[in-house]
Parts: sequence; C-alpha cells; structure tokens
Amino acid sequence: MHLTDQDLILSADGELDARRAAEVRSHLDACWSCRTRQAELQQAVTDFMRAYRSELDYRLPPHAGPRALLKAQMDQRAGPAPAVPYRTAFAGALIAASITAIVFSISLMRMPGDLSKPKNTLTPGETRAVTIDDVCRLQKPRDEDRSLYVPVSLRQKVFSEYGIRDARPNAYEVDYLITPELGGADSIRNLWPEPYSIMWNARVKDELEDRLHDLVCEGKLDLTTAQREISTDWIAAYKKYFHTDRPL
Amino acid sequence: MDLELSVPLVTTATTGTRHSRLEEEVVALFDQLRGPLLRYLLSFSIDIADAEEIVQEVFLALFQHLRNGKSRSNLPAWTFAVAHNLALKNRVRTQRQPAALPDTFADFHPDRSADPEEQAAGLQRQQRLLAVVRALPEQDQCCLSLRAEGLRYRDIATVLGISLGSVAASLERSLARLARADDTRHGSNQRRSACT
Repeated sequence: MHLTDQDLILSADGELDARRAAEVRSHLDACWSCRTRQAELQQAVTDFMRAYRSELDYRLPPHAGPRALLKAQMDQRAGPAPAVPYRTAFAGALIAASITAIVFSISLMRMPGDLSKPKNTLTPGETRAVTIDDVCRLQKPRDEDRSLYVPVSLRQKVFSEYGIRDARPNAYEVDYLITPELGGADSIRNLWPEPYSIMWNARVKDELEDRLHDLVCEGKLDLTTAQREISTDWIAAYKKYFHTDRPL
Repeated sequence: MDLELSVPLVTTATTGTRHSRLEEEVVALFDQLRGPLLRYLLSFSIDIADAEEIVQEVFLALFQHLRNGKSRSNLPAWTFAVAHNLALKNRVRTQRQPAALPDTFADFHPDRSADPEEQAAGLQRQQRLLAVVRALPEQDQCCLSLRAEGLRYRDIATVLGISLGSVAASLERSLARLARADDTRHGSNQRRSACT
C-alpha cells in the first residue's frame, strides 16, 4: 500500500501530526516508489516557485518610496493614542480628560449639521455595473476595515466638501451611502462623513448593510431595491428591516 | 520565505514613545512583507499601481489595529487576509476578470546567463507550467500563491475562508497537475514502461 499524494505533500510541508509523520517517514525509508513520487512532487514545487519568483520579483518597484509614504501617512494619522491605564499617569489623565471634553464640546458645536444622513446635493449615491454574483463574492468587511477601504486622498476630499476641518481621528467613518458590497461606486458622490457619536451612526448603518447584503445574496431582496432603499433613506430602511424605531 | 515574525514586538511603552514604537514595528513588518504581499496581489490580477495602494492600506490598517490594542497574534497572516479582501473589492470595482496569474507570467524573462538552447527550453517549460496554472480553479491558484509566500495551511484557510482540508486538497490537486506537466518534460512515462 503506497502513500497518497496528499500524505507526501503534507509530510514535505510539515503539516502532519507527529504520529502520522513518523509513519510516513518510516514508509518512505522502505519504499522507492513513494520516494520517487515525492521527488516528482517536489520538482513541481521547484518549477512553480522558480517561475513565480523570477517573474513576479522582476516586476516589484523599489522599496524606499512606498516605505517613506507609509511613514508619512502614519504620521498624518497620528492622533491621541488610546488611554494607557498607568497609575502614575492618573492625575495627568484627569487633566487630559477635562481638556478633551472641552475640545470635544467645541468640535460638536462646529459640527456641520446633522450628518446621520448625507446631504443629497453632495452625496446622492452612485452605483457601478455589477451582477448579484459579483456582490455576493465579496466578503463582508470587518468593522475595523470599513473606513480603510476609502483611499486617504478621497477621504480628505469628502471632509473638504462637507466643510469639516481637523476631523478628529475615529470621529467619523467616511462611509459609502451605497456600500460596495451592494454595488456602490468608489465615487465622491457616494461618500459622506458619518459620525460615530450620534444615535444613527456609522456602526448602525454597517449593520443594515450586512443585513441587506445577506438578503440580496439569499435571493430575498433584489439588488436594485436594496440600493434604492439604502440611498433614499437608510434610517427608514433600518427601521423596516430590523422592525424597530431605534438602533438595536 | 519563512513568515515567522522576525521583528521584535512592542510589549510595553510609555505614552510618549508608544506611537513612534508602533510606527517602527509597522515599518519593520512592511519591510518584511511588502514583497510577498505585492507578489500575491500581482498573482491575483491586480495591477502594480493598485497593488501598491492596497499594500499601503493594509499597513495603515495594521497601524490602526495595533493602536487600538487589538490582537498581535500572527500578524503576517492578518496582513494577507486584509490584502485578500481589498483585492476582491478592487477586482469588483475595476471589473477585472479573475485568474490573471497566467497573464502575469505572460512576459517571460529568460535567464540571461543560460545559452540560447537552455533559454528556449526554459521558455517551453514555463509555457507548459503557465497552461497548467491557467487551468486551475481560482481558489487553487490562491492556495498555491499563498503557500509560495510561506503561509502555513491554517493561515491559508483563514485568508481564503475555507477549511484546512480544502487547503490540503487544493494543493494536492495543483501539485499533481504540475507534476504531470513535469512528467511530460522528463518523459517519465517512457521510463516507467521501460522498467516493466
């Protein structure tokens, strides 16, 4: 009885448990046929790796520029770090909290109107040509990844259009009115700065987006209706699909 | 490439230095993983400009992830998972067709040190390989590329959202096909029949 290809590959990749690995080694010691097959599979790996690396490495641009860009962007994003619960810093933290509260109050006073919904003139919503299969192939994003889908330059343009200067980090999600997971376009006409600090906020809308995506992919709602409802009045859509008048 | 984390992790820091140490940590990971991530994205039919932008977004996401005090477990696999999701989104946005790994290989760059005969043989070998890779389902191509970048099976399973068994089966399928292409090259069928 010879080893399977899978046993040989798992063995070479170090993915077998200790007992099975010992059995495979013992068999290979005795069996020229399986050793030959293992060599053939190893040759396939070698050939693939040679082609993969030689061709793709050739296309990689120099490293220094992108490295510097990353550092600059991290500096740009450097805002107040999450609080560190050191006892020695407690008094300082109290003072910092007071200052933060004052600054936050001022920033709320400056907030340009209610942004739980976008301004229709700036963000009417825009879609791209997609099929149901296209949108259902997309995995739902994790919460921390959502706003990162929008390039930095586009985010800045959105803030500028809405007249928001010095937006605090993590205060807004530059959100798609029609989410890409429902065929929304990467267009400034489909983006607005949605605050996290109000009742109908970005996280609540994220829940609606996930619910509509599920309904569309389960065939219970057609894509055009989902796009229309979320772009016309997403809060009304939330109330309709979650059967509630308040965020859950 | 061994994807074991080869940069020191920041475990404690004062408030004043925390940001710069996080930056250093992210840049060290960028130095280690930019090449592998770019190769994976290129093999995924993303063009180089978009791939660079995605890699930037991945590491900014990582920066935010670490600033928020979230899990430091297996950060290399985490970056591949984020890159994979951004690549899917990019593909839908640009309406690109899947399975562009073969296109990537279309511009063959022969070994300049080899003689013309060896170059021609190398070209033939790569074209045969190209045909085999082109015929693989997209998920198999992803498994192959991620394994080529040094990810363990459990990490590949996480990145692609499939089971460990599916990863093993996928790699078995792909390597068996590549080995068959290799058999043709070596004429091993003839060798076997000659031994009987």
